[in-house]
Amino acid sequence: MEPRGSSGVGSGNSGTYTPEIAESLRFEEEIQSLIDPSFDASSAAGGSFTALLGLPANQAVELLHHPGPGEPPASAATDTLRLPFGCSSTFVERAARFSVFATDDSPASSSGGGLSPGLKAEPPDSDSPPTLPAPAGKPRRPSKRKECEKSKVSRRPRWGFLSRKAVAKKSKSAEENTSAAKPAAEENTSGDKLPYVHVRARRGQATDSHSLAERARREKINARMKLLQELVPGCSKITGTALVLDEIINHVQSLQRQVEFLSMKLAAVNPRIDFSGLDHILSAECGPLAVASGCGGGASDPAMWASDTAASTGGIRRMPAPPQIWHLDVVHPQQSSTVWENNGVAHPHFLLSPATSLVGYDPASSVPLNSNRLKTEL
Amino acid sequence: MQATKSFERAFLRQLLRVFRLSAVSYKSMSLQERKSAIKLSADVAMASARGSRKWTRGLIAKLSEEDEHRSFLRLILGTEYERLTKPCHGSWKIPRSKKIVRRSLRVCSRRKNNLRAPHGVKSSVLARTLVEKRTHALKRLVPGGESLDGYSLLDEALDYVISLRAQADLMQKLLTTFEASKLSALSKCTLPERKASFVGK
Repeated sequence: MEPRGSSGVGSGNSGTYTPEIAESLRFEEEIQSLIDPSFDASSAAGGSFTALLGLPANQAVELLHHPGPGEPPASAATDTLRLPFGCSSTFVERAARFSVFATDDSPASSSGGGLSPGLKAEPPDSDSPPTLPAPAGKPRRPSKRKECEKSKVSRRPRWGFLSRKAVAKKSKSAEENTSAAKPAAEENTSGDKLPYVHVRARRGQATDSHSLAERARREKINARMKLLQELVPGCSKITGTALVLDEIINHVQSLQRQVEFLSMKLAAVNPRIDFSGLDHILSAECGPLAVASGCGGGASDPAMWASDTAASTGGIRRMPAPPQIWHLDVVHPQQSSTVWENNGVAHPHFLLSPATSLVGYDPASSVPLNSNRLKTEL
Repeated sequence: MQATKSFERAFLRQLLRVFRLSAVSYKSMSLQERKSAIKLSADVAMASARGSRKWTRGLIAKLSEEDEHRSFLRLILGTEYERLTKPCHGSWKIPRSKKIVRRSLRVCSRRKNNLRAPHGVKSSVLARTLVEKRTHALKRLVPGGESLDGYSLLDEALDYVISLRAQADLMQKLLTTFEASKLSALSKCTLPERKASFVGK
């Protein structure tokens, strides 16, 4: 990590690119970790999202362990993660809400192919950054009171919510089964598996099963609306379902338009840089390095991905990219396509021999080799 | 809230893979064709990285409506394709028991009649139609949303928004990357200078 960081920042580059460097270094790290499955991104500087994911969910996940409502939680991932933020219960509540889906992050990411079941079960997580204002948690508390009372009093609020979510399907039938007359009397002390969700009717409200079920449904919907409100910028001040829905619709439309526009721009960029060639370069350069250095590569990776325009950063490494695009493309069009069809990540091994002759990646030994090759190829 | 790192990574991986597979034909396309090919690739990568959710299935179903895309999708998704397109997305309704629905309708209508009489003003009706109009609009926007009920629609919309945002971010990053490498190709940096800088590091 250190040589990589220094290569990004250290070697006499013009200082104007520093703001972009951090962002592009992160992106490079991603690309590189993509190509190299053994790259341990979670232990990278900052820990970023895996930490975010793991930490607030940590305790909810532990609690998930005890009752064991069937989710295999990410014990391995959570253990290794640090505690970057003070863990407030708002996070935990939100994490608990989504912890139903939370599965192991690191194995899922390191397994080849994007269709692993771990990914399927894992939604974009709600582990919000610490900038989530604490007061946002407060208005939600009163609405959660019902869930607290629903489950055992001794447990913390998130439990109630979690258990309700875990048995969401059964709740309707359960509520109709429980005698509406005395919903409050039964507190589940065991609390591990809740076949029934006990709802305490608030003062002045109807207690028949239909209204209870309706109320539960409405609260679910309101919870989702609140989440959406937080997601869409500028929506938290708006009251009223219709207006909030308006904003959500506008936001979705704008995102879709943005994607179209970006794809148009990418298509416009394309004639200059051949897509296939560029990707060959990326994989070719990242691949042998990943194989050679084993774990996460050395200084050359970010330079070769070269997303930032720091001109002199790893100059030689970057330079191969444009002229060699055509070179590689000409030489390896057929082989690459067949190899990559099978597995998006396994190609490094295949490309090791041809690519090293062109690009040559051992930082210590191949520098003179590299420059010689470049001279001849140019 | 934001998309998880693993999702972004899987998305990028899928996207690169799709680009590689489809890039052979890029040279002969016009701008419009390239743009739609890129958009298709991005959508497929997003759907396959996300896994199996209602909106991903709806999206893939919508994309497979054209025959040319279908073979492409099949190539990329492999065995997942068959699994993902099994329920026909238009008519996939939540199975509801008729007896329970009838009973609840009866109870609800009775309660509505009791409550409506004292008010006289149809404000709730107005509010309800506004919300309904917007729900229909949202259903049309979210892929596969036509057959979802209120709660699942919101759920899928939440997920969809997060994924769309991740998609836009990723494409933006890719764009800056490509432009940066293009700039570097045009840069006047000479070879010995670069070698010196590299060795010096």
